[in-house]
Amino acid sequence: MDRGKLPSAALVLALAGAILLLPPLALVAANISARPFGIPAAVIYLFAVWLVLILVTAFLSRRLGADERKGKG
Amino acid sequence: MLSPNFVVVTAIAYVGLMFAIAYAADRRARRGKGGLLRSPVVYTLAISVYCTSWTFYGAVGSAARTGLEYLTIYLGPTLVFVGWWFVLRKLVRIAHNQRITSIADLLSSRFGKSSRLAVLVTVIAVIGIAPYIALQLKAVTSSIQAIAGDKEGSFGGFDEAGLALAVAAAMAVFTILFGTRNVDAKEQHPGVVAAIAFEAVVKLAAILAVGIFVLWAGNGFEAIFSRAAEAGIEIYSSDTFGGRWIVTNILAGAAVLCLPRQFQITVVENSDENHLRTASWAFPAYLLAMSLFTLPIAIFGMATMPAGANPDMFVLTLPLANGQQALALFAFVGGFSSATSMIIVEAIALSIMISNHIVMPIALKTARGLGEGDDHGVSRLLLNSRRASIALVVFLGFSYFYWTRDSDALAPIGLISFAGVAQFLPAIIAALFWRDATVKGALSGIAIGFVVWAWSMFLPSFATSSAVVAGLMAEGPFGISWLRPHALFGLSGFDPLVLSGFWSLFLNSAALVLVSLFTSQSPLERLQAALFADAFRRAGGEGANFIGGSAAVGDLFFIAQRVLGLERATDLFGVLLRTHAAPGPEFIGRLERELAGSIGAASAHVMLSKVVTGDEVSLEAVLQMADETQQAIEYSQTLERTSAELRVTAAKLESANEQLRVLDQQKDDFLSQISHEVRTPMTSIRSFSEILLDDGLTPEERRRFVATIHGESLRLTRLLDEILDLSALERGERGWQNEPIDAEAALDRAVEVCNGFARQRNTRLALGRRASEARVLGEADRLCQVLINLISNAIKFNESDDPVVSVSSYAEGASHVIEIEDNGPGISATDRKRIFEKFWRGRNAASGGHAGTGLGLAISRRIIARMNGSLELVPRRGRGACFRIVLPLAS
Repeated sequence: MDRGKLPSAALVLALAGAILLLPPLALVAANISARPFGIPAAVIYLFAVWLVLILVTAFLSRRLGADERKGKG
Repeated sequence: MLSPNFVVVTAIAYVGLMFAIAYAADRRARRGKGGLLRSPVVYTLAISVYCTSWTFYGAVGSAARTGLEYLTIYLGPTLVFVGWWFVLRKLVRIAHNQRITSIADLLSSRFGKSSRLAVLVTVIAVIGIAPYIALQLKAVTSSIQAIAGDKEGSFGGFDEAGLALAVAAAMAVFTILFGTRNVDAKEQHPGVVAAIAFEAVVKLAAILAVGIFVLWAGNGFEAIFSRAAEAGIEIYSSDTFGGRWIVTNILAGAAVLCLPRQFQITVVENSDENHLRTASWAFPAYLLAMSLFTLPIAIFGMATMPAGANPDMFVLTLPLANGQQALALFAFVGGFSSATSMIIVEAIALSIMISNHIVMPIALKTARGLGEGDDHGVSRLLLNSRRASIALVVFLGFSYFYWTRDSDALAPIGLISFAGVAQFLPAIIAALFWRDATVKGALSGIAIGFVVWAWSMFLPSFATSSAVVAGLMAEGPFGISWLRPHALFGLSGFDPLVLSGFWSLFLNSAALVLVSLFTSQSPLERLQAALFADAFRRAGGEGANFIGGSAAVGDLFFIAQRVLGLERATDLFGVLLRTHAAPGPEFIGRLERELAGSIGAASAHVMLSKVVTGDEVSLEAVLQMADETQQAIEYSQTLERTSAELRVTAAKLESANEQLRVLDQQKDDFLSQISHEVRTPMTSIRSFSEILLDDGLTPEERRRFVATIHGESLRLTRLLDEILDLSALERGERGWQNEPIDAEAALDRAVEVCNGFARQRNTRLALGRRASEARVLGEADRLCQVLINLISNAIKFNESDDPVVSVSSYAEGASHVIEIEDNGPGISATDRKRIFEKFWRGRNAASGGHAGTGLGLAISRRIIARMNGSLELVPRRGRGACFRIVLPLAS
């Protein structure tokens, strides 16, 4: 990705996280009746979104403003 | 059950271990070996002070009572850290630039170093945090009772309140010992941070250990969940994702920014902005790990523990019930750990706020705090006031616990605190991003939000212990039913938390925005607003040195020594002390920032203002100077723009002038050529007339001379006619009408006209292939004129032995082409370019004495151009010249 677009990507990630974790989208997952490994779908959904947010943030954070960091030495 | 003494000894030993860690860390930091301490990992672990005993014990209880809602407490902060680049990074940058010591200092500094705002924020924070401290005391008390108490919950002769008081007293002592050993320049406590990071590891390990034990005891996730489902335990339902879900997410997100301890660790204790990079994902990951086993523990507990067991204590009671005493002790240490770390950091953060924003201003007003006493006056005052504040904060927490001890769940108590500190959020967001927010807006927003919160959330928590409050809840004040705390403004039927959160934050933000729009900023506020909003744009960004005027070194040193201590003051003053030079405004500005790092921006400002003389108008003067500079810059920019415009105009004029000169030159050339052309026939006319004036000429000679004169005047007339014609064509004055004509007819006419001339010159006029008919747009007579001119030229200049002029025409695409060629000498390469110029005559023409005006081809070309066609000389192999006329066919 173009470095200049990383801040936009970070903002989109935060907003997407909020949209995914709040109703009405969270309700969609809550209404699924299947229970893989006996665990309710809503629980799996929330933890999955959470994990993805963590991983993508880890990916973005290392690159965000990396030039600035170098400049500071 | 474990023996009470053993539990107490374990707790004390654990605290001792923390002391050792803090002590070692402080020593390392002082010797400049803080490498490991200043690592992003330690920073992230320290931020995890967010996970208190609410998380350790309360989350399981919350999951057992209200299902998935416990997750919101961690999802909200996760979102804030995912968006770290926009809010947290700016907060940290500003805090570094401005030496911010607390959240009250941040808001006060942004809103013109306002003392009133700092006091308001401090008071609200102290009141708002009391339930949170109470929660920790309650959790520790309950855990001690659960692990070592007898059947009635009595422990070593203490009842619940007594035990809580003992815990509170012990906590206050720990905190005082931990946090107030010295007053640091930037209010950073490396020792405390190291101990908190250690605790973060302990509590995570403890909760994971209990989680894994539960998985083992319950035969894995699937078995636990299936068993719970069979037993009819359903702790998740779709109405989980309602208004409460949204509100708790927002409150938790706000809390991770606004809680004094979170602000202290995340912002004030941050030593490197880049640590946020790691924390941005590692802190959410820590939260995820902490809450991974919450749900299995909760439902396993509900399925296996006897009815009526307190779900808040499942983490402890499950291992006990299964005979795992060592694990239970580990869990107890983890819970104790999370509670102590919270109380220590929270109390330190609040005590800094109280001492800097309430005690210091009062001391400054009475003036005694400054001038008298021993060398460490202010320093000692600060430390003592902080110690007292810590005791006060913990005691307030205990009081809240005491008055509300009948409520049993942990999580709802914590949410009261979250909603309280969330009232700072609108002002913080405005401080970071909205330049026009004013101190009056911030004051009214926070005050209104606080009042609504206190009425609709804080007060109702006393309903169980106070009949008066219970009455208010049921009837409203003075029987005004729309003011009932849980049905504010007549809105009821919603969850009280949703209502209170909505009203307090909505009215808070509305007041902030509206009041800001209708009030104005002081100059200092304007300056600070710009420094905050543009934190990333300004290098350094430490602010202007707006205390002008002069001060004696002695006076300044006196203050610095009292606040910072002798050693640091000497360091700071350095050379200045020996030379006794007058301190410049730059130095005073630096000193103010240093002092602000210890006692807050507002107090530092007031303190220096007292010593430095002549500062009253200086800020206005600075701003006015800035305004004048701005005006000067604008004025010079205008000038520059005008002069640039002038330069462009001049360049345009110059090029126009150049064109005029060229035209003038052309006109001169033309005139001189005409004069020359006119002169030749005139000369001959004059000479022949002079001869005629002489007598003695034979009639024969006379007639010859008169004929010559006649011929010359005819030529002259023709010349003048053609010049007029050309100039009319050039200026486009003639009424020119292009209409459909037959080009072939014009060609026939021209050939006919030239036939006689050709015979006279013994030239064969050969007609080549011809187009049948060609409709072109033009003027028939003019076209004929051009053709006659070209054919007669071809005849005239043909010096071949067997002169032939051939004429042909054909259609080519949408064009009609007429070609006239001869087998004469042709036109040399150098002449080719010039034959269409005015007054040009071929060498041969001149030598052969064929009188021409030299305008024929020039006129012809212009006529054809007027018909949108072209006339050109076609390159040709062999002898002779070939002229080609191309005219567009009329459609």
